[in-house]
Amino acid sequence: MQIYINNLTFAYGIKTVINNLSFTLNQGDYLVIKGKNGSGKTTLIKCLLGINDVKSNTIFYDDVDVNLFKQWTKFGYVSQSFDDFNYEFPITVSELLNVSSAKGVDEQTRLKLLDQMKIFNIQNQNINSLSGGQLQRVFIVRAMLNNPKILILDEPTASIDKQNKEFFYETVERLNEEGITIILITHSDEIENLNYSHILTMHRDTSNDYKVRIPLQKGGHTL
Amino acid sequence: MILSFFTDLFQQEFLLRALLAGLMLGILAPLLGSIVVVRRLSFIADTLGHFSLVGISFSLFMSSIGFVTFFEKEFYIGIVFSIIGGLLIEFFRRSYKNYKEISMVIVISLGAALSAIFFALASATGSLYEYLFGSILTINDESFYLILITLFIVSIVFVIFGKKIIAVSFDEMNAKFMGINVGMFQWVFIVMLSIVVSVLLEAAGVLLISSLMVIPVAAAMRVGWSFKATVIISVIFSELSVLIGLWMTYSLNIPSGASIVSINIIILLIVALTKRISNSRRIKKTSSISS
Repeated sequence: MQIYINNLTFAYGIKTVINNLSFTLNQGDYLVIKGKNGSGKTTLIKCLLGINDVKSNTIFYDDVDVNLFKQWTKFGYVSQSFDDFNYEFPITVSELLNVSSAKGVDEQTRLKLLDQMKIFNIQNQNINSLSGGQLQRVFIVRAMLNNPKILILDEPTASIDKQNKEFFYETVERLNEEGITIILITHSDEIENLNYSHILTMHRDTSNDYKVRIPLQKGGHTL
Repeated sequence: MILSFFTDLFQQEFLLRALLAGLMLGILAPLLGSIVVVRRLSFIADTLGHFSLVGISFSLFMSSIGFVTFFEKEFYIGIVFSIIGGLLIEFFRRSYKNYKEISMVIVISLGAALSAIFFALASATGSLYEYLFGSILTINDESFYLILITLFIVSIVFVIFGKKIIAVSFDEMNAKFMGINVGMFQWVFIVMLSIVVSVLLEAAGVLLISSLMVIPVAAAMRVGWSFKATVIISVIFSELSVLIGLWMTYSLNIPSGASIVSINIIILLIVALTKRISNSRRIKKTSSISS
């Protein structure tokens, strides 16, 4: 699926967070979005996911305007620090994955993903008893369950240790090699180790609050 | 005293009916309550209850000025008003995105105010006590069958949409990527909750609806190891409260909602204390091993 962004501008009230952003991503691309806190990275993701309301004719998926787009199961999304998830109520990993599966996703698929992410042995544990790294893998499995074409990851390594980070980036690379488009937000120094195809730097311009104007650059180790 | 309760149970039809109604409500309340707790909307049942009460008082008022035919079934008007309350909560929730509880305060206050006004206009303030605290013993045949039908409908909804309901409740934002229509879910949920709140109102009273839905779940959360286990345990706690509470109501002549809620709270305290003691024992054990 092709992602086409055409002069996207987004503001919270009078604060412009994204100003005139345009780029195109093709199926299988790997985009890294970097920038400081408040530069609009998560805002951009929320525009892409149809969570923030954007003007028509600014974001297209295979020529379909985001405001008319319906096939959201083609997206997998892991949010920053999983803060949209309601914790504390007991639910096991396998229960969560079971209710999160779209129609036609069977037990076999779930078990395979759990195995790939090396969390097969915790499937009957309560979500609330997991470590940050385990939890992150569970949410990646959940994002992968419905066989997405595009995987969007918002600062997914914020709360995990070094070893888990390496495993995580290897996993992302493997998924990318399988043909999944990756959009990864990061503001850490880990970028140099990543095998991305595109990078977008977002700035919080002090002279003009929250202005993003650095265009998409081709880059990464493969190029 | 317990023995006479049992013999009376099979001699007095109203008592048996109250018990069966109570047991059905004992399933409904924590079942919906679990979803309400997961979604962090513990006050929503009370809020909808107040709006259901507006419906009831409005019906009493309309009947008192002569519009009897349509408004004699105040229960159904209660459900309609409860749904209106749900819509109002959603409306205000959008205006205060980060302060969702504000919307409930606004709607609950409006509900309380309108109820008081209509009860006064209908000159029916005498029956207010009954609506505030409920009375399961005086439940009639019609209400009994309404509870039965509600239980039936809710069971079907849970069998068909249970997975989706749980998914949306835990993570509203992500539900979209599972192909779930979240807006549709909100509707189904509000309508279902409005019906359950309205049937609970008669037995438990408007002030205690939330307690019946939330407290057994709060106790079960302390001991549940999975979602399924937690819901089942909450239903067990809830049924236990209904049984003991009804016996208390009958033998001590106190309001049913109040006695059931008191037992619920006692169970919660026992669970919380036992859990705390067993936790501190475990900590002692591990620290003695490590030292």
